[in-house]
Amino acid sequence: MNLGFLIGVLGVLILSHAAYSTIQYRGLLKITEEEFSGPPMNVVLELIVGLALCMWAALTFPGKFLSIHPDSDENRAVSLPDNSDFMIFNHRGRLFPPEIDMKF
Amino acid sequence: MVTKTEETELNQLENQVENGGGGDWEYLCLVRKLKVRRSEIVFKHGLSILNDPGKRSALGPEEWTLYEQVAIAAMDCQSLGVAQNCIKALQKKFPESKRVGKLEALLLEAKGMWEEAEKAYTSLLEENPLDQVIHKRKVAMAKAQGKASLAIEHLNKYLEVFMADHDAWRELAEIYVSLQMYKQAAFCYEELILTQPTLPLYHLAYADVLYTIGGLENLISARKYYAATIDLTGGKSTRALLGICLCGSAIAQLSRGRNKEDKDMAAPELQSLAATALEKEYKQKAPAKLSLLSSALRSLKLS
Repeated sequence: MNLGFLIGVLGVLILSHAAYSTIQYRGLLKITEEEFSGPPMNVVLELIVGLALCMWAALTFPGKFLSIHPDSDENRAVSLPDNSDFMIFNHRGRLFPPEIDMKF
Repeated sequence: MVTKTEETELNQLENQVENGGGGDWEYLCLVRKLKVRRSEIVFKHGLSILNDPGKRSALGPEEWTLYEQVAIAAMDCQSLGVAQNCIKALQKKFPESKRVGKLEALLLEAKGMWEEAEKAYTSLLEENPLDQVIHKRKVAMAKAQGKASLAIEHLNKYLEVFMADHDAWRELAEIYVSLQMYKQAAFCYEELILTQPTLPLYHLAYADVLYTIGGLENLISARKYYAATIDLTGGKSTRALLGICLCGSAIAQLSRGRNKEDKDMAAPELQSLAATALEKEYKQKAPAKLSLLSSALRSLKLS
């Protein structure tokens, strides 16, 4: 298990813990009959930390990203395949026997 | 299609293999994957692997694909004895195999025995009338015997059934160009562009054919397709840049006598931009020829 995966799991756990505390906070507010304006400060901090960890894990865990530019070196077509289905053998190279006489 | 990274990898492996630095099997696998035609090198090194029983057994079941690859490379290098032996070995291992049957018929073709090859292909087609490779071999045989119109007829019939075969459309376009039937070749390239619009090489070939046919509308379309090629390759296609300059000067020449309405609306900046890009590229890659290029471009602008 590499680091990215572990950090991703940690980030998801932190986010779910933040969700649980927000639900508990709302329950508390219902008892005291106050309005729910937003989660408390520490939950917001926890959310930001969880967000950062999850983003980092999502970018590092999947591995190398592929290029999407059509003219990058990985995607740029330099030549087409030589159409070997239509290959013919009576080209001019027929008259040049190979230099090394190979036997099999 | 071969991408730039694959091409550099192929050249690197080729240098390594030719200078005796190992990596034979990776090179052979890459050649098979990219479908390029490097028959001499494949023949030499593939055969050395096959002749060495230690290396041969290390390949395992891949050994038979290597036999096939070496057989075809041997036929291309005109070593028909070696090809015959490879095919015999394959026949011993896989009797009654259609793939080996195709190789035998291919060997008959390479020997120049056209009627026997024709008979072999017809019998193979009887068993399996929808075999694409055999139909294409019949076209190749017609092409090899110099009967271009027969090849065109066969290829047209093939394409009526298998319309999505890019290689066949490309082959048909090339045969038409060799017979100077440019309008039909343009049609084939249009089909190719429709199915694979992101491949700049088809746009380039189409623009070349349009430029050859000539006439004002064709030149304007040709310039559009050269521009599309430059767009798709990020400016790395020298041929397309030169094409724009030539089209521009040809259009200017043709529309000299006409009135202002027929003058082409595309910006004159296109030609000067292409010329600047060309000079920059030549300065980088071939500075010795820069003066030739500049004088050629100057004469184009004046004409």
